[in-house]
Amino acid sequence: MSTPLQPDLLVLVRDPIDQVALIGHVRAAEDGAVVTFDGCVRNHSHGRRTLYLNYEAYESMALGKIREIAGQIHERFAIHLVAIAHRLGRLEIGETSVFIAVSSAHRPAAFEACRFAIDTLKRTVPIWKKEYFEDGAVWADGEMPPAPLETRAAKPAS
Amino acid sequence: MVTAQAMARYTSAGYNSLVSLPSQTARVKVLFFGRLKEIVGHAEESVEVPDGAPIEALFSHYGASHPELARFRASLVASRNQEFAAWSTPLHSGDEVAFLPPVSGG
Repeated sequence: MSTPLQPDLLVLVRDPIDQVALIGHVRAAEDGAVVTFDGCVRNHSHGRRTLYLNYEAYESMALGKIREIAGQIHERFAIHLVAIAHRLGRLEIGETSVFIAVSSAHRPAAFEACRFAIDTLKRTVPIWKKEYFEDGAVWADGEMPPAPLETRAAKPAS
Repeated sequence: MVTAQAMARYTSAGYNSLVSLPSQTARVKVLFFGRLKEIVGHAEESVEVPDGAPIEALFSHYGASHPELARFRASLVASRNQEFAAWSTPLHSGDEVAFLPPVSGG
């Protein structure tokens, strides 16, 4: 693989995500594939009708974790470039909350890297979603990020 | 300031071994997100802790004044300076600490 001539595009945004710009950012003459993931706001959750969502983030750490994911997929898969944008603030039904675009010379790497990126993002990036319903609002059930081992824990004898 | 009571557990467990002067304190920034921000009532504050105190002691301090917060302890992950950190991680001046609820981005 060639070294990227332009860096990955990794951002947190408050305005609608420009998907065309993200795809254009990763797409180059040497690429045979661009795989994208469009995460969008669903109109229902646990059988209730969702009105809208509000996302908040620990922004500096979230960006750091998104950069880590980009680094991981470059290490693990033969990809060219990645663009990841996550939106914060109020989002209406049907709007894009997260968008990922990955380019590669051959499609398997881009498919696998894109899947790895969204799965890892949902587990490790400090972003929280509050769901608003007709009769109230709740913080969405989330996933616990993998926590470092406690130093007080007994270490197995070697 | 973290309560002496909350600290006692850790000093007895040997967690103050890094502290050279018992009276030395560290000023740390604490951040709250999501439901924790709603419980505590604000997004961040600056507090003094004994230098080298573990993140767990700082959380106990907040748990004592906000019992609802303590209820969530098992589902929280701690961070120090924007990296996930063990609850036993010692704190020093200038550190930024957060207690992170399960994440739900995407």
